[in-house]
Amino acid sequence: MDFPIFHIDFIGNRMLIAVDAILHVIINHALAVGALPVIALLELSGIRTKDPRWDRLAYRLLKIIFIITTTVGALTGVGIWFSASLINPAAIGSLIRVFFWGWFVEWIVFVCEVSLIMAYFLSWQSSARSPEAKLKHLRLGIFLAAFSWITMAIIVAILGFMMDPGNWMSERTLISGVLNPMYFPQLAFRTTLAMVMGGMTMICLTYLFTRNDLPFRTTVIRAISSWSGIWMLTLIIASVWYYQVIPQHMLANIPVAVTTQEYVSWNSSLKWLLTVGLSFVGWVLWSSVRHPGQVHGAKYLASVLLLFAMLGQFERVREFIRKPFIIGNYMYANGIRVEDYPLLQRDGILQHATYAGIREVTADNKVAAGREVFEQTCTRCHTVNGINSIRGQLKTMYGDKPWQPEVIAAYIENMHGARYFMPPFPGNKAELDALSVYLASQQKRATAFNGAQTNGIPKPDKISASTVYGTLPNLANPHGEQQ
Amino acid sequence: MTAPIPRDIPLPLPAPEGLLEILLIAAFLVHILFVHLMIGGSMFSLVCQIRGLKTPDYEKLAYRIMQTVTVNKSLAVVMGVAPLLIINTLYAPQFYASSALIGDMWMAVIPLVTLAFLLAYAHKFWWNHFLNIPELHIGIAALETVLFLVIPLIFMTNVNLMLFPEYWPKVTGFFSAMLLPNVLLRYLHFVSATVLFSSLFFVWWTGRKTFRVEVQFSELRVIDVRRFFYAFAFGATIFQILTGLMVFVSLPAQGMSWGFTALLMLGGLVVLPAIWWMWQNLTRPGHLLDDNFKQILTCFACATIIMGIARHDYRENALADHKAAIAEKTINYQAAVKEAGEQAQLAAIKAKENDVAAPGAAAFNQNCAACHHATLPTVGPALQEIKEAYANNPDGIAAWTKAPGKKRPDSMKMPGFPQLSDDELTAISQYILSH
Ligand code: HEC
Ligand code: HEC
Repeated sequence: MDFPIFHIDFIGNRMLIAVDAILHVIINHALAVGALPVIALLELSGIRTKDPRWDRLAYRLLKIIFIITTTVGALTGVGIWFSASLINPAAIGSLIRVFFWGWFVEWIVFVCEVSLIMAYFLSWQSSARSPEAKLKHLRLGIFLAAFSWITMAIIVAILGFMMDPGNWMSERTLISGVLNPMYFPQLAFRTTLAMVMGGMTMICLTYLFTRNDLPFRTTVIRAISSWSGIWMLTLIIASVWYYQVIPQHMLANIPVAVTTQEYVSWNSSLKWLLTVGLSFVGWVLWSSVRHPGQVHGAKYLASVLLLFAMLGQFERVREFIRKPFIIGNYMYANGIRVEDYPLLQRDGILQHATYAGIREVTADNKVAAGREVFEQTCTRCHTVNGINSIRGQLKTMYGDKPWQPEVIAAYIENMHGARYFMPPFPGNKAELDALSVYLASQQKRATAFNGAQTNGIPKPDKISASTVYGTLPNLANPHGEQQ
Repeated sequence: MTAPIPRDIPLPLPAPEGLLEILLIAAFLVHILFVHLMIGGSMFSLVCQIRGLKTPDYEKLAYRIMQTVTVNKSLAVVMGVAPLLIINTLYAPQFYASSALIGDMWMAVIPLVTLAFLLAYAHKFWWNHFLNIPELHIGIAALETVLFLVIPLIFMTNVNLMLFPEYWPKVTGFFSAMLLPNVLLRYLHFVSATVLFSSLFFVWWTGRKTFRVEVQFSELRVIDVRRFFYAFAFGATIFQILTGLMVFVSLPAQGMSWGFTALLMLGGLVVLPAIWWMWQNLTRPGHLLDDNFKQILTCFACATIIMGIARHDYRENALADHKAAIAEKTINYQAAVKEAGEQAQLAAIKAKENDVAAPGAAAFNQNCAACHHATLPTVGPALQEIKEAYANNPDGIAAWTKAPGKKRPDSMKMPGFPQLSDDELTAISQYILSH
């Protein structure tokens, strides 16, 4: 409402964030949080055994980690910011106001992390000159691993907060946001999953890099497998814990039976994937500890892919159960605060959307006004023609029968009830009507839908350029001076 | 021309505004320093590599320069996070608006930087693989440098656009924002600063004692390389002042003030001694490049800090009215929200009283209305249809609702409602039939 609306109709706005975020999370978990401790372990083994092969392998693995995390890894992290602030600026703006110092600390940790990985990687060769230098160098690696975990621990607080702000709604302090009920189970789950992912990924790469030295491969893979196996056990405990806490907590929040069913099916898909995935990965690790030379690389690769899928599914479920909110109970995913609803439903959203081009629905402008309403209320989750397209949804519902505006309106009016994950419609009757006419008009011939990055914004009118509201007293300027 | 006035995020700032502004200026200067070193390093490495085709020693130099780029580019990115965070906090209504207006190019920053970094790694880590195909190697270096030069233009367009809300309605897409007065001149000023800071950095870097050992020139003398960078630094300083004057003249009036002008003059004056020393060191026999080097650096550092403050001052001036209007509108909007909220609450209480009269209505609205409309088939059949099918048969409705079957081939299966009590079901059924 307060920002020009950026929209990509083809891949969809949520998809843009999702692709960036999933890539980031996978790199962060598998190559930073989970893999760096393994590198330090390998370096330590090199120091202990005085066998230079350990050191060479560790360096080769670290080089890959370094290249990927300092390019794609770091930039997709910044990309989450960029995409979130384009797609839902109201939400990210609010989160920043609440979590500023959290993010600031996060930034300091991040600076340390990047400095450490550069120091660790770039001084690797020169640290070979003396045993003392080597020990110092190892210490860098341990610090690095610790810092990359702390980065994650802070971010998890923010993610947990978005799902359930806990006491923040009443207290509005940083700490009450951080200590929300989701925090510890989620952190435990992510930490242990990251460790197993990191271990498995390193096993895969080791498998590749040690083609010509099979006895050494056996030794290394057994070592990493044992390390990952221990984390595997903790991962099972953490999954059970997470699974015990989250669903009950979330289910208590979902009032609608239909959605509860959908939720249960999402969650059981996660449970299923977790059970199958963990059994498979556990089995691979077990055989790998016992007969490390005999496990084929494809099994390791399959384990890594399964772990990625588990993490991806976990993120999807997390996203799903957050809906219809983007900040639990405070702001809906369309960027509108729960508190704003009565006003918008009374006056109409177009009256209050700064950058809307039409304010009033009339008999002649229904399609155009409906497009504006759609832009304000649905485009954060739907496209017209792309991913999760509204045309596709309507087609599934009504097929090739003519789409009737009244029928669509009857649905939208109650869509929050029918599909809890969608926010209630935040406008008045006339706007609902216009939106339905617009949607029905898209059945035969969809008009291209562009965002503000292509269309720009309309010339400011009275509403956009003024600072007062209707008949209310001007609180900011109580003496009634007119500006 | 009028500007759109949005409302601000209705949550308090996390810290006093002044503190955030100081943090912003400081963090931005650190960020931009590493950006200069990153871009300048990439440019100089390219230049040296081309010269290396004739004089192989330059190729060695190019390789060493790329080693600094590896470090500086990572610092440039991490150091950029803090100013981005603070801009997001302090200027949410303006910064998010300008970002959205150039949204696709703004988003493209992420893949472009990633690509530039990957190219830089390919350029450096595979140096020896390219020995026999220098054209390809130089091509990679050139592409990397071009990308490094394009990215700041996107940033510059955005931070310029956010300053002038009255231009927003005129902007359609990135290029129209880029062509607003002053962006390209500011960019030129930025690029000459890049040359200036990076060449000064390389004068220092090639002057370190260990440099000679690291680089192992076969014929080239280190002193010649240093003079090469020094000459660039001097030229860029002059160019910097000229472009600075042009930027000043072309700046839109919105942010101008005497204080700002005075800061700029002061910043310009501070570099004059540095120019004098540099000229002497370059031209007078008997002077060494390292003469007064610390003083020269101090001059540039002071000028940079002053310019950083001036830049912020201009932004604050340009946005002062807009910020005040936004604050006012936000307060008034919140009052309207509160008023409407209270009205709605009263209405809800009234509605509840009505519910007591018709007990099935509330339960129906909560559980069934989403899919069953009075007269229209929506997700499920209309009430009309149900009424006809179940006339005088409320128990039938209740039974179906507890455990629905599957009847209509072209509609979804209705979910069951085992959680509803018999009383509730009876009330709902009666409500449907009497509706
Ligand atoms: C929180 C994001 C969100 C918002 C905002 C949103 N939707 Fe949806 N909508 C969804 C999702 C998710 C689905 C389900 C997609 C699926 O199942 O494939 C959906 C499905 C639908 C369907 C098909 C429903 C069904 O029962 O199959 C329609 C119609 C629809 N949305 C219309 C709208 C309209 C109109 C708006 C704006 C007033 C809107 N939505 C706003 C997320 C959203
Ligand atoms: C998620 C949407 C949805 C909700 C919520 C819903 N229904 Fe239905 N209902 C349907 C659909 C779809 C059908 C058609 C099913 C079929 O024909 O297979 C249906 C059919 C019916 C029928 C007609 C059965 C018949 O014999 O033709 C009745 C009666 C009914 N619903 C009652 C209810 C009641 C009472 C509630 C609330 C407690 C309710 N429904 C909530 C979707 C819903």
